Amino acid sequence: MAALLVIEDDDRIRLSLALALEDEGHAVREASTAEDGLIAQRKDPADAVLVDLMLPGVDGFECIRELRRTDDVPIIVISARSDTHDIVAALEAGADDYVVKPVAVKELSARLRAVNRRVRPAASPVPALVFGELEIRPEAGEVRLHGEPVAVTRTEFRLLCELAEHAGRVLSRQQLLERVWEYSIGDERLVDVHVGRLRQKIEENPAAPRHLVTMRGLGYKLLR
Amino acid sequence: MRSPSLRVRLMAGFAAGALLLSTSIALLSYELTRRSLLAERERTAVRVTYFDATVVQAGLATDQPDIVEVLRSLDTGAIRRPVLRRDGTWYARTADAGGTSVVPASLRQLAEQGRPGVQRVRTDGHSALVVAVPLARSTVFYEVHSLQELENTFQVLALVLTLVAGATAVAGAGGGWHATRCVLRPLASVAAAAQEITNGDLTARLDPATEPELARLAASFNQMVDQLARRIERDRRFAADVSHELRSPLQTLAAAASVLAKRRADLDARSATAVALVTDEVSRFQTLVTDLLELARSDQPPERAPVDLAELARQVCRSRGLPADIVRVDGAHDATWQVDRRRFEQVLVNLVDNAGRHGGGAVAVRIGHAAGVRYVEVDDEGPGVRAEDREAIFYRFFRGRSANARGDGEGTGLGLALVSEHVAAHGGSVLVTDRPSGGARFRVELPENTP
Repeated sequence: MAALLVIEDDDRIRLSLALALEDEGHAVREASTAEDGLIAQRKDPADAVLVDLMLPGVDGFECIRELRRTDDVPIIVISARSDTHDIVAALEAGADDYVVKPVAVKELSARLRAVNRRVRPAASPVPALVFGELEIRPEAGEVRLHGEPVAVTRTEFRLLCELAEHAGRVLSRQQLLERVWEYSIGDERLVDVHVGRLRQKIEENPAAPRHLVTMRGLGYKLLR
Repeated sequence: MRSPSLRVRLMAGFAAGALLLSTSIALLSYELTRRSLLAERERTAVRVTYFDATVVQAGLATDQPDIVEVLRSLDTGAIRRPVLRRDGTWYARTADAGGTSVVPASLRQLAEQGRPGVQRVRTDGHSALVVAVPLARSTVFYEVHSLQELENTFQVLALVLTLVAGATAVAGAGGGWHATRCVLRPLASVAAAAQEITNGDLTARLDPATEPELARLAASFNQMVDQLARRIERDRRFAADVSHELRSPLQTLAAAASVLAKRRADLDARSATAVALVTDEVSRFQTLVTDLLELARSDQPPERAPVDLAELARQVCRSRGLPADIVRVDGAHDATWQVDRRRFEQVLVNLVDNAGRHGGGAVAVRIGHAAGVRYVEVDDEGPGVRAEDREAIFYRFFRGRSANARGDGEGTGLGLALVSEHVAAHGGSVLVTDRPSGGARFRVELPENTP
C-alpha cells in the first residue's frame, strides 16, 4: 500500500499500469513528462516513482538525476530498453531497480515492495556501528561521516546495513541481491552500481576504497 | 601437407642466395690469391736460386773445388735446399738422398740440355718448388724451395673465406627475416584490424598514410568496414525499434489483462473464459517476444566473468520450485566457469523448464569436466527425445510430434533454440541423449580453456 508516481509518456501504458497497480492496492498518480513528474513529486512526494527512460523533453536519466538531487524516494526504471549501457546509466543516475517492458504486474509489485522496505527493526536495540570515521545508525536510518550526516537512498542504506551486519566477511553479489533487493535470481549490475554509488558517498577516495572493498570474484565486504 | 610459411620460404631463399654468392666470391678470391701468391713465390725462388747459382759457380771456379763445402757456404735457411748434379753425380749439403730424389726427371733432362726450368713437386706431403739452373756443361744447380709456409697461408685463407661465406649466409637469412617482417607488418596490421572488427570493435580502421604501398588495400578495407558498420548500425537500430514497438503495446496488454483477470469472478462464464484466454495468450506472447528479441541478439559476444555454475543452478532450481540438492558437482572440481552469467542463467532456466514441460521435471543437474571440456547435464524422467528429433529439437519453433506437446500453451518453441545459440556464442555445443535409466539428458559442453 503506497502512493506511487508513474512517469510515462505512452498514455495507454500509463493508464493500464495505473489501473493494474491500483488493483494491487496502491494509490497512483500519473505524469506524462519528466517536468510534470518532477513538479508533482515536489508538491506531494510519493513513496515510490516508476519512470520510463524515453521521455519527450527531459529524458528519464535526467529526470532520475533531478529527483535524486533532493529526494531519497525509491525509483524503479521501467523501460523497453534492455541494453547494458542503458541499465547501468540509469542505475548510476540514481535508480534503485530496473525492469524491462513488458513486466508482469505481480513482478512489479514485488519490486515495489522490496525497494520500499525499511531496514527490519532488530529484536533488541542495535547500537550504532562505527567504522573509523564512518558511523551507521540502523534504527535512526542515518549514516554519518566524520559526524556529518550523509544522504543515502533507502536501497543504499539497506545495502550498507547488510554489509555492516557482516562486517569483515565477504557477501557475494547474489547474496546481496537476495537480501537487499529480494531477487532469487537477479542482475548483478544492480549491486555493482550501488556499491559504486555508496563509495562516492562514504569513501574519501572512491577509486581506492578503504571500507567498502571488492573481493575479486567473490563479492564485497565492509572493513573497519 | 601445408607449405612452409612465407617467412620461412623467404628466409631460406635469402640464405641460399647469400650462401651461393658468398661461396662463389670466396672460391674466386681464393683461387686468384693462390695464383698470385704462387707466381710471386716462384719469381722470388727463381731470383734467389740464380743468386745462389752465381755463388756456387764462383765456388766451382777454383781447382778441385769441394762441392759439398761450396753448397754449405750458401746461406739458405731452412726453406731451401741446394743440390748440385755434376757429371751424373748428385751433391748435397748433407748425405740425405731426399733432396736429390725430389728433382723430377723431366726437369733434369731439360736442365741437362742447358735450359733452366721451374717445376712444382710434392715432397714429404708438402709442396715444393724445384728451380734448375744449368751452370756449365753437365753441371746443373738445383734448389728445392719448400712451399709449406705458403700452404699454411692458403689454409688460413680458406678457413677465413669459409667462415665469411657462412656468416654471409646467416646474415642473408637475417636479412630475409627482416625483409619479411617489413613486408608482413602491414599485412599484420590488416589482420589485427580485421580481428578487432571480428571482436566487435567497429571503429577499427587502417591508416593509409603509414604504408603507402598498401594505401589502396587500406582504403578499400576501410570502405568495407564503413559499410559493414553502417549496416550493423542500421540492423541494430531496427532491432531496437522493433524491440520498443513490440514491448510497449505488450506492456499495456499485460497490465490491462491483469486488471481483467482480477475481475474474472464478477464476469459471466463466457466472458471469464475469454478473459482467461486473453491473459494466458498475453503472457505467452510476452515470453515469445522476450525470447525472440533475445534470439535476435544472441550472436553478440558473451560478457564473460567467473560464475559459480553450481550456485547458479541451485538458484534456478529453487526459483522453479525444485529442491536445490538435485544439483551435483562431479568430482572434486571447481564449478566456476568463465561465462556470461545472464545468458547461462537463461540456458539453465530453459533446460530446467523444458524438463518440467516435457519430461515431468528435472531430476538431476550435474556439473563437471572431462577430457578438455566442462559440461552441465540436465536429466529428466520423461519419455525422452526420439532419435530423429534430436537435432531438430534445437531449431526455432520446433514442436514435438505428439499432440500433447503441441497443445501445451506455455512453451514458445524458442527455449532450446536460445540454449543452443547462447552456448554456441560461448564456443560450446549442446546435445540431447537418452538418460541411462530412462528419460532425456541434455548436455551442454564448453571447451575447458575458454578465455
